[in-house]
Amino acid sequence: MARKFFEPFIPDAGDPFDARKAAHLLRRSGFGANSAQVAAAVGKGLEEAVDDLFADADDEDREFERTFNAIGGTLVNAGDPGVCQAWWAYRMLTTRHALREKLALFWHGHFATSVNKVEDTQLMLRQIETLRRLGPGSFRELALAVARDPAMIVWLDGQSNVKEHPNENFARELMELFTCGIGNYSEQDVLEAARAFTGWHRSGADFSFNAAVHDFGVKKFLGRRGKFDGGDVIDLLTAHPATPRFIARKLLRYFAAPNPPNDVVSEAAELYDRTQLNTRLFLRELFQSQYFFSPECYRSRIASPAEFVVGIARTLGVRQPATDLVGHLSAMGQQLLAPPNVKGWDGEEKWINSTTLAARLTYARSIPEMNAGENKFNPHCPVEEFVPADDKSAASIVEKLAQVLFQGELSSENREEFETFLIMGDEGPMLEAFREDEGLRMTKVRQLVGIMLALPEYQAY
Amino acid sequence: MNASRREFLGMAGLSFVSLGAFGPRLFAQAAEESAAAANNDHVLVVIELSGGNDGLNTVIPFEEDLYYKNRRTLGIPKVNVHKISDGVGLHPALEPLAELYKEGRVAVVQGVGYPDPDRSHFRSMEIWQTASTEKLPPADGWLGRFIDQLPPNPDDGALPGLAFTGSLPQACQAARAVIPVVGELEAFAAAEQPAQREIALRRKLSTRAGAAKGSVQFLRNQAASVYRTVDRLKGAAEKYKSMVEYPGTPLGGQLKHAAQILAGGLGVRVMYTSQDGYDTHSGQADAHAGLLGDLSGSIAAFDKDLRGLGLADKVATVVFSEFGRRVDENASAGTDHGAASCLFVAGAKIKGGLFGRYPRLDKLGEGDLVFNTDFRSAYADLLQNWLGCPAQKILGSEFPALKLV
Repeated sequence: MARKFFEPFIPDAGDPFDARKAAHLLRRSGFGANSAQVAAAVGKGLEEAVDDLFADADDEDREFERTFNAIGGTLVNAGDPGVCQAWWAYRMLTTRHALREKLALFWHGHFATSVNKVEDTQLMLRQIETLRRLGPGSFRELALAVARDPAMIVWLDGQSNVKEHPNENFARELMELFTCGIGNYSEQDVLEAARAFTGWHRSGADFSFNAAVHDFGVKKFLGRRGKFDGGDVIDLLTAHPATPRFIARKLLRYFAAPNPPNDVVSEAAELYDRTQLNTRLFLRELFQSQYFFSPECYRSRIASPAEFVVGIARTLGVRQPATDLVGHLSAMGQQLLAPPNVKGWDGEEKWINSTTLAARLTYARSIPEMNAGENKFNPHCPVEEFVPADDKSAASIVEKLAQVLFQGELSSENREEFETFLIMGDEGPMLEAFREDEGLRMTKVRQLVGIMLALPEYQAY
Repeated sequence: MNASRREFLGMAGLSFVSLGAFGPRLFAQAAEESAAAANNDHVLVVIELSGGNDGLNTVIPFEEDLYYKNRRTLGIPKVNVHKISDGVGLHPALEPLAELYKEGRVAVVQGVGYPDPDRSHFRSMEIWQTASTEKLPPADGWLGRFIDQLPPNPDDGALPGLAFTGSLPQACQAARAVIPVVGELEAFAAAEQPAQREIALRRKLSTRAGAAKGSVQFLRNQAASVYRTVDRLKGAAEKYKSMVEYPGTPLGGQLKHAAQILAGGLGVRVMYTSQDGYDTHSGQADAHAGLLGDLSGSIAAFDKDLRGLGLADKVATVVFSEFGRRVDENASAGTDHGAASCLFVAGAKIKGGLFGRYPRLDKLGEGDLVFNTDFRSAYADLLQNWLGCPAQKILGSEFPALKLV
């Protein structure tokens, strides 16, 4: 296959793998990173930094499991979706395997299932766990697991799908939204696929095949004939020529650029197809490609609420209750575990309207106000960690903040505004007070952080 | 917009100028239209029923045996139906709406749909929202197009359209205008602390002019819209004084908020609301009744409020859904995606009554009701006769307008 966009990016002296590129990689493959993590990635170089993203599950996962099992019973028995959302937000905030979590969120938006109908929080958490576990691997395996997933069965009325009266809901969405996309199958295919999935039920929190109501007859599906069952339908759909393109486009949209042109999508589709729809292998290529580091991709997306909120927390080391986070995500239009419908979240510009942008601006300005003081359990934004209390120069402070938030990419116009803002009091410049009064200075610095987080430039992800 | 529409709109000007003898008359007509448009302050409120409302159980053909044969458990007994004609009646939960119908304030349009119906929520909703059945529909919506063609308002804070839904519906996407989603803007306004210098700088940087990358420019436009809207809405709530009680539901809340803003005299022309939950694949009976009860209670409260505020003559409310549902009920006491359904328009100035024809239950299309009234005929009527805007420009082709207004 002739490569163009997925030609590997080879860093050299003229175009090195610098802090901006490293931050871009860590942002897109996860939820952002603090200065130390960015510097570490630069030190390792592109190849090793990408390798790290795909490191296998390890002690951290076992630690999470232990914690989860300790409080898991409470979570599940309480049946409160809010608590489950907070649990997932907590994982996003603290995990070392950010890509795995980012992918789980991607697949959650793809196989969009809502707790509002499923209601059973145990089922929802199990589905998310399936997406996390199988998300990086074979798409075919993932799709099959989702077809057998009890939350999905409840969500798309699988339990009502019986041979006497097939329920088409899952079969339709499987083709339209989950695999090959609209225009690549007929209404008849939907009906036949529904027959193949009859009896694919759940019993409690487990998959249960109900043979008594399964239609074992011959079906005609996508031009083939056979006594197909759900697994066969999944095989045929994942082998459908339109499927690699459909999924690859979504992966590009989520990890690379909001409107990838057709030729890029075609190359990506070919690549995904050659990996036999293995998401890990595809992403490995994408994250080391010229396209990924081109201007089309660099800061070209609009941060989703999760990327914005979790990104700020991870970049600045903000400490706050995961339950607070969940409330902000909802106000910004992204309720974890409750996508608006089976199509998931449209994303990009659709995230932004007056309401949700107002929510982002309100959130941005609230961050630096988190000053725990003596009480270490209060929410806290550790401004002192990136702006030392003894730095008395407005220019130096602005430069430090520019490095943390933008890897130095801040217009001179904006820098001037910020330096002026720092030293300006109600009656005019107060340079003396700014230098000598540490309390006053840090208050202004905190306000400036809030202003910078609210910049449109910061939301350009 | 796709290329052919762009061409169409570009060409229209040329052919107009070359008409010679017909020129003066058409000029006069255009001038009249423009004057009418300038004086028109009518408001259109849209209620979207999300999920596919079962029209067959909303406007019920209670004399048809086939209705009861197909709706073995979901059929509404004749005695419970609110009859509005010899053969057709409303679901029992729509009692308040039936009352309004008796007063001549509701138009019920039967058999509404479009050719070659699509049973996918997203595709069918897209068709209704863009008013286009083209394979590559325009990105903007019919209401967005209406707002884009309004004469530019010298008042920079004009709010010609508002959406009360969680996200901006495609119908309100415009090529130029930015239609805000009202939602929790009040929360944002309230959160602004009196740190004036900080607020001023944030506002300045969020909305700064000058060249910027695509996404940044988009965000700046949106930020400008936030500040503008907040400024405008601050006064509206204070002007609203009403004792009318709305249902304590999301729809009730949206319509109440709409009434509040109408009372504030902000010059809003289009208001978009929605009610979710109509995708009743299983256990439809109770769910549907609950939704319809909420719908008619909310519409009745809104109508009462408008009357009290002296605004009833200025507002028309259209109620639609992306498709109806299959005639034959399924094995889960529910119904699957269908095609033709009903559409309502309510208002003081509406010609009440029954419009269109009830689709035949013995002549279905792939198990679904077949439409006889294109939804764009309703749009054409509302655009031309209610909002005072030439419909063909917005809809792309000619659709014979209904006469509901």
